Amino acid sequence: MKVAFPYLGYDTIALKKFVEMLGAEVCLGSPLTARTLSLGAKYSPELICLPFKITLGSFVEALEAGADTLLMAAGARKCRFGYYHYLQEDILKKISNHHQFYAISQYTPYEFFFKKIPKIFGVSPRRVIYATWLLLHHSALIDYYRKLIRLARAIDFTSAQKKESEALRIIENVSNLSAIRKAKNKLKELFQPLFKFKKRIIKIGLVGEIYLMLEPFANHDIEKELGKMGVVVIGRRSLYRHLKHLLHIDTSELKIIIDAYKYLKDSPGGEAIKTVGEAHGFCKTGIDGIIHIYPFTCMPENIAYEALEKMAHDYAIPLLSISIDEHTSKTGLLTRLEAFVELIKRKNL
Amino acid sequence: MLKAYLGIDVGSISTKGVLIDENREVIRSSYLRTLGRPIEAIKKLVAELFNENKNIEIKGVGTTGSARRLAGVIVGADVIKNEIITHAVAASHFYPEARTIIEIGGQDSKIILLKDGVPIDFAMNTVCAAGTGSFLEHQATRLGIPIEEFGTYALKATSGATIAGRCTVFAESDMIHKAQLGISVEEIIRGLCDAIVRNYLSTVAKGKPIEPLVLFQGGVAANIGVKAAFERALRMQVIVPRYFLVMGAIGAAFLAQDYVQKNLSTKFVGPALLDINFQTKTFECHDCANFCEVVETYKNSQIIDRYGDRCGKWSEINP
Repeated sequence: MKVAFPYLGYDTIALKKFVEMLGAEVCLGSPLTARTLSLGAKYSPELICLPFKITLGSFVEALEAGADTLLMAAGARKCRFGYYHYLQEDILKKISNHHQFYAISQYTPYEFFFKKIPKIFGVSPRRVIYATWLLLHHSALIDYYRKLIRLARAIDFTSAQKKESEALRIIENVSNLSAIRKAKNKLKELFQPLFKFKKRIIKIGLVGEIYLMLEPFANHDIEKELGKMGVVVIGRRSLYRHLKHLLHIDTSELKIIIDAYKYLKDSPGGEAIKTVGEAHGFCKTGIDGIIHIYPFTCMPENIAYEALEKMAHDYAIPLLSISIDEHTSKTGLLTRLEAFVELIKRKNL
Repeated sequence: MLKAYLGIDVGSISTKGVLIDENREVIRSSYLRTLGRPIEAIKKLVAELFNENKNIEIKGVGTTGSARRLAGVIVGADVIKNEIITHAVAASHFYPEARTIIEIGGQDSKIILLKDGVPIDFAMNTVCAAGTGSFLEHQATRLGIPIEEFGTYALKATSGATIAGRCTVFAESDMIHKAQLGISVEEIIRGLCDAIVRNYLSTVAKGKPIEPLVLFQGGVAANIGVKAAFERALRMQVIVPRYFLVMGAIGAAFLAQDYVQKNLSTKFVGPALLDINFQTKTFECHDCANFCEVVETYKNSQIIDRYGDRCGKWSEINP
């Protein structure tokens, strides 16, 4: 069995390990490139959001590479993500008939642990629970790494980038909990020498749609580009937090919803309420600017945008809103980022 | 010998150059069409400046606009800054009390909010360029009206025809349709100006508070019809600064002056620039499926700059 699932930035490593723990082979196809996107756009409805196109494109490439089992997350309540899997299943059926497509609902943990996953992989529920438990810790390690690299890039971009491949190797080579603990210390040692504070570093909060925040290909490496400009990115979205949210073990979740309440009283679907809540949290604790990224035509994030605009005005914090689709040019994006960072620098003078 | 600072703004449609003296007074400004050949436009601009002002010593150079990087590499700029900052710097120099800058250029439009002369927020058009200079120019050509007189036509009308402003192609079909109904050109042009303002306010300035003093800069500010439409829509006075066309270049020159005063030397190539042969080449990198288009700039067949790759392996080996 060769299993494929959509790329999810650094968190792909943890998902790969999860599938391997369940005794299957991972076959993702080539890394995300312009070809992935053009394949995705070719088979997608034109005005659908960007994550749909990228994930579909990566499935097509995985099928080319020989994958026979495709896994896609499902269930998002009021957001379009809820019907991603129906459409993708349908479209992929027309492209190939040598594969199985499974939609895995995010909001039914009982089904996940005891029915769906054991059935797909032919393993016991105990194994699934163990693998998920490890996935949680592994993604926590990745979350920790994300914090380190964000700070390291802002302080010394070239040295930080040189350490990236070694850091990713450390993250990849873990197979149990004690290895994860050791890896965490190794990462800390690796980046410690870089953390020499010289001047005040600009902090920018990144909020928005989860896929665009996590997948560097989708967001045109926005974090790296900001790091190059000496900015430390603060973003709370990650696979780790998402898993905690799904397993109802995240206490900070409630705080985010309370934070959002002043500007957004009810969830319009997707992750809009988190976008608003996180941004408000940033505003209250002090931040130099907020960048909001979302797919063009995304309904919930467009609603969040209105709330963010009001918030930015109330707290006098610069806000840059970026909507991305497959036609977005990196040059245009860079001009905006550059201007935004320059504006903050001048404001802080 | 007069000490001066040079600011160059190479935009999509036009190339602007400005010379300022030590006291930030504009000595000379020039404006010419880029015509899709930025390198030639820059050379022509520099040649013009040197031919007319023999007694000038250039102390520093700043570049801005969409070709700021190329321009910076060619002339040896001390500062390369994007349009938002240069426009804000120039505007706050001439109008320290300005709070809002509306800037509409050849292919992009932006809003910049200022507080105490410092830019605090901005927005730029992202997915749509409807209502920018190139569209207006196209319409003027189609109607056989010189672009300089386009705005005066709008002022002649007492009411405007309703034109869809979202998409330029639909706006054009709307204009044709209205003309076929027998509505006068003046009314259609006024309607078009209103549509541009409506589109700007709902897509670029959406939600941002527009407070007086409002400045209107960029090429489209030459169009008094659009200025009047802004005043009608915002119900406040809109000021078009004296140097509205070259505000970006002025800002770049100011920034160059600030930089040189701190660092004391300039990288400016000087008149020798005119004898150097610059060339740009592009190639598609086939090392992965991204197929990035890499742009190389050559100075007398020697490579001086390379960019455009996603992974950075070409731009890394810049000399």
